[in-house]
Amino acid sequence: MTEDRNPIQTLIQTPIQDQFVTLAYGNGGRYMRELIAQIFARHLANPQLDTGADAAHLPMPPGEVMVTTDGFTVQPLEFPGGDIGSLAVHGTVNDLAVSGATPVYLTLNAFIEEGLEFALLDRLIASMARAAQECGVRVAAGDTKVLRRGEGGGLYLATTGIGVRRAGLNLGLGRIQDGDVVLVSGAVGDHGTAVLLAREDFGLKGDLKSDATSVLPLAHALLNLPGLRFMRDPTRGGLVTVMHEIAHATGLTVRLTEDTIPIHPPVRGICDILGYDPLYLACEGRVVAVLSPDDARHALAHWRALPGGEEAAIIGRLSGPGAQVVLQTEIGGERLLEELEDDPLPRIC
Amino acid sequence: MRSSAKTDAAEVAATVSEDATRQWVLSGRVQGVGFRPFVYRLAQRYGLRGWVKNRGGDVVVLAQGAPAALQRFGRGLLTEAPPLARPEILSDVPAIPEPAVGFQIRPSDAARPAHAQVPPDYFACDDCLAELNDPNDRRYRYPFINCTQCGPRYTLIERLPYDRANTSMARFPLCPACAAEYADPGNRRFHAEPIACATCGPRLEFRAADETAKCGDDALAATVAALRAGRIVAVKGIGGYHLMCDAGNAVAVATLRRRKCRPDKPLAVMFPMTEDLAALRGAVVLDDRHDTMLRDAVRPIVLARKNPACQLAPQIAPGSAEIGVMLPYSPLHHVLLKDFGGPLIATSGNVSGEPVLTDNDDAEAHLGAIADAFLHHDRPIVRPADDPVYRVIAGKPRPLRLGRGNAPLELELPFALAKPMLALGGQLKNTIALGWGKRAVVSPHLGDMGTPRGLALLQQVAADLQALYGVSAEAVLCDAHPGYATTQLARHLTLPVSTSYHHDAHASALAGEWPHDDDRLVFTWDGAGFGRDGTIWGGEALLGRPGHWQRVATIRPFALLGGDRAARDPWRNALALCWEANSQWHGCNHDTEILRHAWIRGVNCPRTSSVGRLFDAAAALLGLIDHASFEGQAPALLEAIAADGAEAIDLPLARRPDGVWQSDWRPLLHDLQDSTRSMSSRAARFHETLAAMLLAQARAVRAEHGVTDLGLTGGVFQNRRLCECVMAAARRDGFTVHLTQKLPCNDAGLSFGQLIEAGAGA
Repeated sequence: MTEDRNPIQTLIQTPIQDQFVTLAYGNGGRYMRELIAQIFARHLANPQLDTGADAAHLPMPPGEVMVTTDGFTVQPLEFPGGDIGSLAVHGTVNDLAVSGATPVYLTLNAFIEEGLEFALLDRLIASMARAAQECGVRVAAGDTKVLRRGEGGGLYLATTGIGVRRAGLNLGLGRIQDGDVVLVSGAVGDHGTAVLLAREDFGLKGDLKSDATSVLPLAHALLNLPGLRFMRDPTRGGLVTVMHEIAHATGLTVRLTEDTIPIHPPVRGICDILGYDPLYLACEGRVVAVLSPDDARHALAHWRALPGGEEAAIIGRLSGPGAQVVLQTEIGGERLLEELEDDPLPRIC
Repeated sequence: MRSSAKTDAAEVAATVSEDATRQWVLSGRVQGVGFRPFVYRLAQRYGLRGWVKNRGGDVVVLAQGAPAALQRFGRGLLTEAPPLARPEILSDVPAIPEPAVGFQIRPSDAARPAHAQVPPDYFACDDCLAELNDPNDRRYRYPFINCTQCGPRYTLIERLPYDRANTSMARFPLCPACAAEYADPGNRRFHAEPIACATCGPRLEFRAADETAKCGDDALAATVAALRAGRIVAVKGIGGYHLMCDAGNAVAVATLRRRKCRPDKPLAVMFPMTEDLAALRGAVVLDDRHDTMLRDAVRPIVLARKNPACQLAPQIAPGSAEIGVMLPYSPLHHVLLKDFGGPLIATSGNVSGEPVLTDNDDAEAHLGAIADAFLHHDRPIVRPADDPVYRVIAGKPRPLRLGRGNAPLELELPFALAKPMLALGGQLKNTIALGWGKRAVVSPHLGDMGTPRGLALLQQVAADLQALYGVSAEAVLCDAHPGYATTQLARHLTLPVSTSYHHDAHASALAGEWPHDDDRLVFTWDGAGFGRDGTIWGGEALLGRPGHWQRVATIRPFALLGGDRAARDPWRNALALCWEANSQWHGCNHDTEILRHAWIRGVNCPRTSSVGRLFDAAAALLGLIDHASFEGQAPALLEAIAADGAEAIDLPLARRPDGVWQSDWRPLLHDLQDSTRSMSSRAARFHETLAAMLLAQARAVRAEHGVTDLGLTGGVFQNRRLCECVMAAARRDGFTVHLTQKLPCNDAGLSFGQLIEAGAGA
């Protein structure tokens, strides 16, 4: 961190006295300057972040420039294993990572709801700063707005990520071929379950926490494999939703084998009770990769040697035409994994 | 009859002086059933001249002869028609005499088969069985013997017209003997398209891991030996494979259950066809209706009450008072059961919920872990047909499943559709229906649409039915449930889609079977269907007529704890009811803390008014069942233990602000948990109470709307005890009551109901 060189620091006179964010902090005056300086600049400061400028100049390392953007509205703002601040970094970093890029910069939009506690905001932005530092990205530009009470869930964040990718790296749905193999880097459903339990105040303690983290090391570990076709992080809609993207894009059937998909026992237990299918629940720190059969074995070995990849598994393959996702069940049957509609409604008559 | 032919002709000739000429046009099921050869023989008997030919899907007959002979001939066309034919006379008019010598079967007119019918697969007829058992017959013990009066149809037709070249028999060139029979108008096998014998027809092949393959009679002998040794054999039949084992061998049955991962669901049993049916009567109690249905051309599985002295393995139908029994239908089954000499388990060769397997290689791949051996044959099955299932309810056999023998099922629509429509039905136990003009054709049971094979079969059968009947659907109908595989499929087709609400389709299916012009009140009770208000319905009384149903009564709603999981865990429903009633379930042996929190917060706890789940809850409260391994298990157990006679509890009936009558089940909770009374008396009271609840709702609606015609449909009414209770009480009270009779009342009827809804609403 290079706080002492940041010009905004000189404007800081006194710490914020209010306990809660009010609309005044969004009005462009002194309060807003204080908010930016005391919270955002203090935590996120770096040579590229000039809070006084309208635009930032970004020196780029060599390679193809890649950009992605994402919004974060998770409830609750803090949950076991993460919070909206770190998630806003990991989510965007992960989108770059699975595209084969190394993230360099982020921009940040923060929509703060009137009434949010400053202490909480401070924790969330500090968490964001830590996550950014761990991922080696700098926040290069930002903006804050304050929304009237009732118009936002405490805090919404939006981040845009800019990264660079080795020239000529060719990854995408279009490269997937029949017979390719599907891997996942770790157990699925942890994030979705942890957030659900936290949001609905289940008050459970224990092993259940979000998997939210950066997947950069996992994604980069595969980039040198010529048989790597495609990577994605299974967030909203979980594993099955990524599988449907693959099936629709390729027109091929994705065949998953139920007993190979890693699911942590507490997640399975909770999902059994609540009637959810972990294959449809979000992850925030996993990678799904499609590789040629030969390189799939190498990928598995690479992943298993990395922290966070110990539970990596080959979970299925592309098998023939059909544009559908099929689960081979433990008892030898086959079940269609339908595309997620809204909330799953009971169907059994 | 046959021996008196000459006498008839002579007698007629003696009483009449002058010849007349008449022409008949007959429709209905008159093709592929030996109708033209029958007409030929009938004409011969009465000494008539003329001809018979197919025209489109009809048969046209021109006959000349003595007026009295013509009159008898005309009557005989209907009264003496072959057993499989269902002729209807479209016209019967005087005609201009044509110069004719003798009576001829003329070539078919090439006209488009506007009335084409695709027959189901028929059981082996008596004539073929006699040959099968005659050591001097050239088809003695030949397991693929058939004639115009019997044998496979639906499962071997590849395209129309129904000629051998268009069936899966095309790969078996006829030997001279078969060719001669095929070409002889006087022969029973004249144009019997699947005609075959041991020389030229399909053959059996027995395969087991540790044995060399065997063919023909050796294959049968090896199969019988394997079955006697307690092994499980996958036997390829007409519409697919059965998994068979000795029904008297408890170890074999338990092994089959374990390997098939089917712990509880009843297994069907096939009995040898003997003069006295002694083995069958020793196992189950048969009354005339069972007996008649078992012998019917449909040859279904019939549910019949276990005989107390039943010697069969107890694992066949655990917890059930009934067993599903059937008689052999194909010649292969006749020979196999006769050689084995006792009852065999004959359960569908499939993985749970999927369509029955039909292909030799697929069967080996998917059933290899279940079957010790395979009895294959080399006639390809073009499309599967499971065994149909019937249960006698309120005095009549009623189908629970359509399949081989009774499907495709043709029904007449009470109106003409403006354009051809394809109805995709629901999700589980599904069928599809094709409708055009005043005709509707319902497919056999297709299984669970949540499986890739089930959905692929639906698409195949949808294409096949349209091709076979020469009809192209111009609209697609499906359920309103957004998550059904069939709903999602409908959206991917390029045709206009219209949806029906689940219970509207149930009510309309019943109304389509019993059409009349007045409003009626239909109780649609089942497990789950997407309702108009976005909740899960299943205890609804609908008033009106197809296209115009109005919900007028329901039950107090409750939560489905864990959504679909509630359908598999009856204990969840017991909990839900107790929580809704603010009472305790003392017998609960589950950790409920998390679930209770989910219920309070509404996490995956959709609201329902399902009577099916009410039955689940009752069974769990009695301590009968915790987890259901198949659909409908809990209600079946509850029905099975219910004692005779019981007093109903009066459930409060009140009007909701929106005018819908609502019954409150809460008084049942205490009674179901009253351990001072036997389980069977509590189960009986539950049935009586629901019947009384239904009647109270019906009276309330009658008082307001004057409606006296009741219908009962939805899967809950597969419960005989409930149906018979309701019918007796409702009739005493001046209502007329209808149950479905041609179609299952479960979700297999949805496709037909969707056609009725669409046609009536248009």
